[in-house]
Amino acid sequence: MGKTVKRITALLVMLCLAASLFAGMNGKTPGILAEENKTEPAYKDVAGNDRYSLKVDEKTLQLVVTDKVTGAYMESFTSYDDGLANKTWWGAMNSAVVLTLISGNDDTKQANTFNDNVTKKVTLNKDGFSAVIYWTTYKVGLTLEVTLTQEGLVVRVPDESIKEDGDKYKIGTISLYPYMGTSYLDSKPGYILVPDGNGALIYLDNKEGRYSAGYSAPIYGQDIGFDESKVETLLWDRYKIVNSAEQVLAPVFGIAHTEDRIAYLAVVEDGAMRASIECLPNGVNIDYNRAFAKFVERKLYTQPTSNNSTAGSLHLTESDRSHSDLQVRYIFLSEDEANYAGMANAYRNYLTARGILNAPDTSYNTRVDFLGSDRKEWVIGTSRVVMTTVDDIKDIYADLEKRGVTDLFTVYKGWQKGGVNNFPIKNFKPDPGIGTANKLADLINTSKEKGISIYLYDDALRINPKEYNVTFNTVKKVNKRKFEEETYRSVYEKFNWITPLRTAEVILGLEKKMLKKDIDSIAVAGITSNLFSYTYSGKNYTRYDTADSYLKTVEELDKDAKLCLEQPFAYLWGHMEAFLDMPLYTSSYIVEDTFVPFLSIVFKGVMPVYSEYVNFEANKQEFFLKLVETGTFPSFYITKESSSELIYTNSNNIYSSQYDSYSETIEAYAKELAAIAERTEGAIVKSHELLDSNITKVTYSNGVTIYINYGENEAAADGYTIAPMSYIING
Amino acid sequence: MKKNLFKVSLITVLLVMTILVTSVCAPAKVKADTPYKTYTVDGYGSTIETQTAYLPYTTITKIGEESLKQPTDFTLLDDGTIYILDSGNKRVVVSTPDGELVKTFGEGTLKSPRGIFVTEERICYVADRDAKAVFVFDADGKLTNTYEKPDSPMYGETQVFLPLKVVVNSFGTMYIVCESNTNGIVEISPVEGGTFLGYFGTNATRASLWTIIWRAILTDEQRAKQLSNLPATPDNLAIDDKGIIYTVTRGEKNGALKRLNIAGVNMLNPKTYEDLPAAVAVGNHDNVFVAAQSGYIYEYNNDGDLLFVFGGADDGQQRIGLSTKVEAVQIGTDDKIYVLDSDKAQIQVYKPTEFTDHLHNALYLFSKGRYTESKEPLNRVLGMNNLFDYANMAMAKALYKEGDYDGALKYAKLAKDLDTYSDSFWEIRAAWLKKNLTAAVLIIAAVAGLIAVIRYLDKKKNILSAPRKVLARFKEKKLVKQLNYMFYFMRHPIDGCYGIRNQDRVSLLSSNILLMLIILIYIINKYFCGFIVKTVREGSYDVLSDAGMIILALLLVVGCNYLMCTINDGEGKLKHIYCSFIYGFAPYICLTPVIFLLSHVVTDNERFFVDFGRLFMISWIAVLIFIAIKEINNYTVKETIKIILLTAFTILIVCLLAFIIYVLWSQVIDFLQQIPREVVYKLG
Repeated sequence: MGKTVKRITALLVMLCLAASLFAGMNGKTPGILAEENKTEPAYKDVAGNDRYSLKVDEKTLQLVVTDKVTGAYMESFTSYDDGLANKTWWGAMNSAVVLTLISGNDDTKQANTFNDNVTKKVTLNKDGFSAVIYWTTYKVGLTLEVTLTQEGLVVRVPDESIKEDGDKYKIGTISLYPYMGTSYLDSKPGYILVPDGNGALIYLDNKEGRYSAGYSAPIYGQDIGFDESKVETLLWDRYKIVNSAEQVLAPVFGIAHTEDRIAYLAVVEDGAMRASIECLPNGVNIDYNRAFAKFVERKLYTQPTSNNSTAGSLHLTESDRSHSDLQVRYIFLSEDEANYAGMANAYRNYLTARGILNAPDTSYNTRVDFLGSDRKEWVIGTSRVVMTTVDDIKDIYADLEKRGVTDLFTVYKGWQKGGVNNFPIKNFKPDPGIGTANKLADLINTSKEKGISIYLYDDALRINPKEYNVTFNTVKKVNKRKFEEETYRSVYEKFNWITPLRTAEVILGLEKKMLKKDIDSIAVAGITSNLFSYTYSGKNYTRYDTADSYLKTVEELDKDAKLCLEQPFAYLWGHMEAFLDMPLYTSSYIVEDTFVPFLSIVFKGVMPVYSEYVNFEANKQEFFLKLVETGTFPSFYITKESSSELIYTNSNNIYSSQYDSYSETIEAYAKELAAIAERTEGAIVKSHELLDSNITKVTYSNGVTIYINYGENEAAADGYTIAPMSYIING
Repeated sequence: MKKNLFKVSLITVLLVMTILVTSVCAPAKVKADTPYKTYTVDGYGSTIETQTAYLPYTTITKIGEESLKQPTDFTLLDDGTIYILDSGNKRVVVSTPDGELVKTFGEGTLKSPRGIFVTEERICYVADRDAKAVFVFDADGKLTNTYEKPDSPMYGETQVFLPLKVVVNSFGTMYIVCESNTNGIVEISPVEGGTFLGYFGTNATRASLWTIIWRAILTDEQRAKQLSNLPATPDNLAIDDKGIIYTVTRGEKNGALKRLNIAGVNMLNPKTYEDLPAAVAVGNHDNVFVAAQSGYIYEYNNDGDLLFVFGGADDGQQRIGLSTKVEAVQIGTDDKIYVLDSDKAQIQVYKPTEFTDHLHNALYLFSKGRYTESKEPLNRVLGMNNLFDYANMAMAKALYKEGDYDGALKYAKLAKDLDTYSDSFWEIRAAWLKKNLTAAVLIIAAVAGLIAVIRYLDKKKNILSAPRKVLARFKEKKLVKQLNYMFYFMRHPIDGCYGIRNQDRVSLLSSNILLMLIILIYIINKYFCGFIVKTVREGSYDVLSDAGMIILALLLVVGCNYLMCTINDGEGKLKHIYCSFIYGFAPYICLTPVIFLLSHVVTDNERFFVDFGRLFMISWIAVLIFIAIKEINNYTVKETIKIILLTAFTILIVCLLAFIIYVLWSQVIDFLQQIPREVVYKLG
């Protein structure tokens, strides 16, 4: 008996070895690095904590972080030269700091600490070192501080240390240790965690040069202040057909070497407002995998000098650089934690330790949103299209109660006077079509007693130029041109954005008026998912200013009201009761290999998260399984009237919403998902595995496991059989 | 010990799994949202977003270990075997449905192959442009036949043979699209080593009004130098099971997609078309797919109504499902769409969603005439999207067949389906008449009786004398008289003009009131007429520009006419011309309300009455205006015609002048705006 077991074990070990060999030899790569190509840095042990040690080469500032227990390590440079990279690339690959410089109209000049004339003054201290770096040719410099803490590494450049002494060269971007955790082709199996949508992985396999570009996206979305006449390709020159890519909601990225069982999660702590995340697998210019944050100091922009877009324009550089410290925290993870679920858990711990993600109530609710009214064109001006009145909502609640659905959460959109596109909302005045102010207040307060929170929706960013004067308090781009957002719809073709100061004034005023009626729940949108640079009355404001202002506004609101935020950026996460519209997908970049619910794992158990609307999903069953997998609560967008009423309004993208056709779906979703939520109540996700391309296993901290089969065939895992497009729950 | 061993093996298993998960590069199977929206077009021609119709499924970049280089065409067989024309490598690559290499052939034979067609017997036809031939390979990839330029004089002596695309019907007859052959598709039968049967499905030339005018002005010499106006050559073609040929042609507008029957006659006229179609394929449910070079994919139903359009161009973002340069499209038996991108050297596969599956199911049942059954999937489609036009239309038809005319009317109105609307309306009207005919006759009889009684009493006892007096007094009022003159003018235009010119029978005020009335009637008629004749969509209004346009047009015509008359010995004053023009529109005021009412009760069958009424009214107005110009200015008929032509010419010149002034002014304004902007920039 014992012998058999031994034999099986031996067989398995051999299989394992063969598999790893296979993995190593996949493609043209030499699995074992050629000895003669290794550069030999002179390391010095500078710091250590309970688990990791930090070594640095004082001459080059190259780092190695080693796990003292397993011996696994991650390097900040390439210890293997494939002999293909040119001098510039090789320099960048071995540098601690890589800059791009702006000189005139050219922002492509690169400077690094390896190739260029640099003076370095390194001072070691007990937790790390600091290095004063100065590029003598370009007359720019900065101080790099590296500290080893209990959880990992902090890399920092203080704002005041950044120097631009010359007139010719200004700093465009700064990347700190861009090759941290790098690897050559598939020499170290694992993946890069990409913060696209909910989360995505790029596997560290041999890409065989398939991709010419990696993932590159600004943290917290594009900056419309700079967005220069980007030509959208429109269907028939009119309709926007290509969806915008998902925004980077959390300033994180990570690399895991799954075979070495070491990984890091990097959190961009300072400077995130003007930084981009770059995740570049092998084949993109060079055969090395890398991920880093690129901080923007200055940007070029186009200053048109006439109304006619084809006529004159100038290319200019921002007159002032951005002022913020730059700091990236690398949280190192080992063994069982060295994977994306571990990264998500580390990020949750990081956030909760700082008092962020502290929702008082994480219990299950079905989100049923209502659309009050919108406007369509009429003989003169516009006329009201009423979709769901206050009384309708009462009826729908009553019907849902009859069906046994009582755990509800509602965002009421288009409740304000003038309908869903009438922004900004200055007063607590409901549209006459849906009912009176007292009636609405009464509905909200009686529902609250029943345990249903109704949040009134307010887009605090947009202003409707057909209804309001937009001469003052509206956002102008850096080139002093008014920013206009195209809707590609017919009633209201454009929106303007109001300045952050005005936003604060308007929404705090509204809060006050609502509090008078005992209404304290607001769903905030617009400002939660947009950050921009702008000019107003001759002054320039950066994204840091905008973020500061929004954070203050939301903090102020949060004092007296309960808030839920629509797809909020991470810097606002400390001030919400619920997260709305969590993306359950990625932007489908070719370079991404698979979707992982990174953000969902972060939130599960500490913050209620509601999905995007079920209405508009074409694959209902797959979406349902996604909800099960991620622990996301379902959302429905409901109207009493048929959505065909909306066809002539700006809301004509809501093509399916009538309650009568959704009542049964809501009931079914609510019952099934509530049952699952009950089993996982208060628990966090311990691990999340993709067993094969179709089966996902989620393990909760209370021992409950869920297997989800996305395949078209029945499948088995861990001794369980899972029906096609279905799931099972255990424990 | 045992436990330990178990642990070890467990860890090993886990390790193997992790390695497999992390290192095996599965075909990029990202469960992802689409990077594109899906649209559909409704009966009013407006474009509406809808549920995602197709999701990116997989991307085929390599066949076994063979990579592709600028592939230009491919054929997908029913069992999933793919024949890819790997043009950059001058060969044909055959692949299993899973992307495993079966074989390659054609190396050494092919020069610049552009099109491929494979029959179910696996006989492969390759159109080679530079070799100026169509090559035929057997199932083993052996060259069995070569068809070169037909020697038939019918083909054209000087006409070159540059085959680009080819399809073959079940008899082996080849339909070949040739470069720069404007005669149409070359049809070659395999008999006697290739018999030229003739040209097929020639596109028509078209000349715009502008070209016609331009050509009339040019001298013969200049005309000879102009680009000749030749019909467009089709860009691609497809064939269905019944041997029907589908073509796509660039820049042909409604003729972009054609379905050609055996006689080469087009039977399709899609309202929504693509300007740059690259390929066409026939689906499994009487549906047709067109792929645009820029990556848009269109799905049409049997009648050429657009069901979906989705996809799009990849502007360097590198997202799955967007394309760079589409060259070919094919449909699998499981409704998956295969799209070949020559720039990306890949085939992108799209998979229908649940929504699309329901729709296809309904399409299928509907095409088989199983209307009642088709209601179930249609309801599912409408449940997901109750604005989906095709479903509304099909639902209207299904309900009509079932005899639920009210329901049919509702859905037909949503879908702007005139035929079904009209048919249901006919049924409803018939039912109403049947039910209410007696009552209606009774009411009419009662009213007639009442009138007779009143008349009788009036005769006897003069009971209506008081109201009649009031009416007479009212009619005596000057303005009322002037307005009433309209009716006289309509019937006696010559005398009427005399009245306007010499007797001051009308005033500016009365004319302006009539103008307002015309505008009012125009607006009411435009926005509230019966569904059958309505030209604008329900719920959309643009009244200000309607009124503005009428007034502007009137002023332009009157002004120009006056200018021309004054220099051509016309005797009319501006006021008289203005008033007579407006009074000339009297029939519009009188007849439009009748037409308006009629439009609410007619069906498509009786639409003639409405159309005839309109024609009658327009002719009447034209005659009145003509007489007005003649009489007011005291012209002869010849002079009048001359003046009308001159007026038209003047209007053209005035419009041109206005345009030039507008352009100049906008330049000046732009310049004025630039100065402060530059100052603002320099200062701050």
